[in-house]
Parts: sequence; C-alpha cells; structure tokens
Amino acid sequence: MYAIEAENLKKSYPKKIPLPFRKVEWVNAVNGISFKVKKGELFGLLGPNGAGKTTTIKILTTLLEPSGGDAKILGYDIRRDVREIRRRINLVAEGERTLYWRLSAYENLKYFARIYYVPKSVEKERIEELLKLVGLWERRNDLVMGFSRGMKQRLAIAKALINDPEVLFLDEPTLGLDVQSAIFVREFVRKLVDEHKKTVLLTTHYMAEAEELCDRIAIIDHGKIIALDTPEGLKRLVKDEDAVEIKVKDFNPEKLRDAPFALAIVKEDPTSNLTTLRGQIDEEDLPKVVEWLVKNNAKILSVEEKEPTLEDVFIKLTGRAIRD
Amino acid sequence: MSLLAVIEKELRMFFRYPLRVISVTLIGIVFLLQFVFFGEAVLGGRYSQILASSTGLGDYPTYALIGYILWWLFASPMEAYVWGVRRELQRGTLETNVLAPIRMIKFLIGLSLGWILIDNVLMGIVFIFGVIVFKIPVSFIIILKAVPILILSFIAFLGFGMIFAGLVMLFKHIGPLTQIFEFGVMFLSGVFFPTTVMPKTVQAIGNAIPLTHAIEAIRGIFIGKSYAELIPTIEILLVLTFFYWLISYALFKYAEKLTRVIGYGGY
Repeated sequence: MYAIEAENLKKSYPKKIPLPFRKVEWVNAVNGISFKVKKGELFGLLGPNGAGKTTTIKILTTLLEPSGGDAKILGYDIRRDVREIRRRINLVAEGERTLYWRLSAYENLKYFARIYYVPKSVEKERIEELLKLVGLWERRNDLVMGFSRGMKQRLAIAKALINDPEVLFLDEPTLGLDVQSAIFVREFVRKLVDEHKKTVLLTTHYMAEAEELCDRIAIIDHGKIIALDTPEGLKRLVKDEDAVEIKVKDFNPEKLRDAPFALAIVKEDPTSNLTTLRGQIDEEDLPKVVEWLVKNNAKILSVEEKEPTLEDVFIKLTGRAIRD
Repeated sequence: MSLLAVIEKELRMFFRYPLRVISVTLIGIVFLLQFVFFGEAVLGGRYSQILASSTGLGDYPTYALIGYILWWLFASPMEAYVWGVRRELQRGTLETNVLAPIRMIKFLIGLSLGWILIDNVLMGIVFIFGVIVFKIPVSFIIILKAVPILILSFIAFLGFGMIFAGLVMLFKHIGPLTQIFEFGVMFLSGVFFPTTVMPKTVQAIGNAIPLTHAIEAIRGIFIGKSYAELIPTIEILLVLTFFYWLISYALFKYAEKLTRVIGYGGY
C-alpha cells in the first residue's frame, strides 16, 4: 500500500460562489495529476507560483474536494474517509499565520492536541517532547506574537506533529525564512523521514531545496506533472547538454520570445538593468547565441559553463525558469 | 473535550484584550441608557398608559430593559458564529482547525459558545446595572419563572443564529450585513416599542422571528401572567425553534459541502 496515491486529479475553482441557478465560470488549477508516494518517502512537488502545488496539497489533505480523479491517503479515500484521513495526517501550511499569536507556544500545542484527540495520558509528554525537539521548550510560556518568523515556523512544525501523523504535508516550508532557520527546517524534515519514518510530501519552488531533500520530485507546471523522477534521474534529462549562464546588461527580456534558443531568465536586477540568462547550449551554438544577444542590444558581461541543475530541467521542459 | 478546548481557547484570547471587556460593557450600558431616556422623553415620563393598554406593561424602563437584554441574547449567537469564523479567517487559522478531526459543526459551536458565554456575563452586568439605575421591580420569583422561557428562547436563538454559521462559511465577509439584520430585528421584534404601531406586513415578518415571542413571554411573566396564559406564545416559540434548527442544519450541511468545492478562504 502506498502512503499517497493520486490518479488523474483535477480541480477547478469557480470565479463566483456556484449557487443554484447561477451561471459560473470555472478556472482550472490542477489538470489531471497522477503520482504515488511510498511509505517513508520524502516526495517533492516542485514548480513555480500558481503551478497548482498548494491546490494539490489542499485536495490531498481533504481541505478541497477534487473536481475529478481519485486520491487515497494510506488507503483511505479522500472524498469518503475525510475524518479517518485527518486523524492520520497533518499539514504545515504556507505562511506564518497558522497559529494563535495571542496564545503561548504551550497553549497552542495543548489546544491542537485536544482538537486532534491526542489521549490525555500522553498529551503533556508529547507537547514537552515536541517543544524540545524544535528548540522552543525554554520559550514555551511566551506568546507566539513575540516569536521570530523562524520560531513560528518551528512551532508550526511541532503543531503538525502533535497527532503523530503518518503522513506530513509541508507547503513551502522554508518560504520567507532566514538562512539559518531554513537550514534547521530542511535538516529537521529529513530527520523526520530518516529517523521517525514519516512520509513527507512537500511543495517548494526552491530548486536546491527539492534537490537536497527529496527522494523523488514531481515537476509541476500549469496544473500538470511534466516530469517525475529522483533528482539524479531528472538531471539526467539535461546531462548531455551544457548549462550556460550568461550575464547581460541593458537587455530587453521581451526579445526572448523570438529567440531561436531555449534561454530563460533566472535573475533580474532592474536597478542596475542586469539580467542573468540560462539555458542548454551546445558549444558550437554558443557564438550564435552571443551574436544574437549583441544584435538585440545586450552588453555581455560574462558567459559561464555550469553544472546542470533542476533549474535546467525545468527550462528544458517549459522554456521558462522557476523564479522566486 | 475538544469542544471545551475551543471554548477555553476563545476565552483565553478574549481576556488577552482586557480593554475589550470594558468597551463591550460600556457600549451595552450607553445603548440602554439612551433608549430608556429617549423613550421616557417621548412618553412624558416613566409610566405610559398607552403602552400599558397596548402591551400590558406600562413601565417603560422595565419594558425596554427586557426587550434590550433579550435582543442581546438573540444577537449573541449570530455575532458569535459570524465573527468567530471571521476572526479565524483573519488570524489565518481557520484551515488549520478544519484540517483537524474535530467536526466542523462542533468547532463552530465551540467558537460561538465561548463568545456567548462572555456576552452573557456582560449582559448580566448590564441587566443588573439597569435594574439598579431604573429601580426595576424584579423579584426572585419572577427571575425563577423566567428561566425556563429564557432557556427555550436561547435554544431558538442558537438555531436561528446557526443560519449565519452556514452563510459565513459561504460568503465569509457578512459581518456588516449581520449587524444591519440585528438592528432591523430590534424594530421588527418590539424591543423598544410595540410592534402594533407598525404596518401589518411588517408585524407579520416580526412574528417569524423567535425574539418577538420570547420578549412577549418574558414581559408577560413580569406583569404576573401564568405559564398557562403564555402557552400560545410558548407554542409559537417551540415551532420556530424546530423550524430554524431544521433550516440552519440543512443550510450548514449545504455550506460545508460547497465550501470544500470553493475553499475555506484560508492561507
């Protein structure tokens, strides 16, 4: 049995509340996603903002009903067995406002322990264990409103472990965190899988994070999975081609639409008018690319050969880069 | 246990804003004072023969205090459901709660009960204030006789208020609309003046609101009516209680189903 099974999942949102006798337009967010996650696996959904990652997580965590397709969590049907699933999973949602800021760290965990029906006999012990695990035991009686963004995220993770879930969903867990907190979260998540044998599904738009953490990654764009493999397997898609990064000045990115090469913008600095472009370009094609850029008023600042990354995979598959 | 946890959480958070307790109590008192003084000014004094002949209760402060306290009790569940969900949405915690295995209906009732509890304590303070300031003739027997009617009224009000629980799940931002409705009810249910002064059609609408009959029953007790004399009013209140619980439960189930399609408006 798989921990997560998604079969041709679809989700459309109405533009208005679909009341009876009201004609409503629907917008597609997820367009037939299928994947399976093994127990004890750390699976990543990688894609740009608006790709359908959060919607997929919301469907799998029973917060949203799919418009089509089926999904099972630990063998339970997401439409029929909502409460069974909710007992066995938890979610670290995107953003910092998922806790009660006017309650202390301890009060937050106690509250969630109660609404997750954690047995009274283990409640106290589990709260203490979790607060110690995320390094907040000393601050347990402080109101959350006084916590830093990183501390709030650590508490959100502790909250998500309060019911000892078999499957944990993390939606952009390091978004907006400082470097140190992001490292803590990444290491902690990996430990949850390796040592605590949890199944984790995380969404991210950070390439390095997906590459570093995940056992397998599904790249998602416009509500569809466009590639699914291990990080190494995905990188093999671009292994035989060289990744080239070109730094240019005064280049109009609009011109890229007519470019005869697969180049994507990975960084833009409007104040100094600098643009970093990236793509898979053969050695013999490189002079033609440079010539084309110069013809389009770009001042070439540097041209560097790079190790292929997941960014290159995404560029190869979509012609665009995933940007922050 | 989970229901108590929601109530406890709401209470804790309410009392972390100490000024809110003072402001709600003061607003309650100021509102009462201005209506009672306004009424007395219009009627030319505390006692009105016209009021007595049309309602049986001629002492205006007593008349207004009963109406006002019951209106507060009536509005409390609506406010509790609507603002309870609104607060969770603003805090960004609604989906975190929905995701837990606690039933949505239980969570919402917990949210509202916490608020209602606070509201009723504050309402009690305003009532005692009104009784002392306006020397309202109230006895222990009257209070005791009023309790069963109050409990029945409160059950009716909870059912009526739950309609708004369904609406708030669907439309999210209905706070201002709810307030307009609450103030409309103030006129339709005869809180500060008899409904008989209004057109028949308006009176008919007022009769569909449980508050109208609750006020009539409690005022009846204050003027010494027996339960037997109040049976017709209590019967209507019972029918309305059943009717509104049925409607609100159906609406809530529909809203719950639709919300999983459109989303909880969370993070």
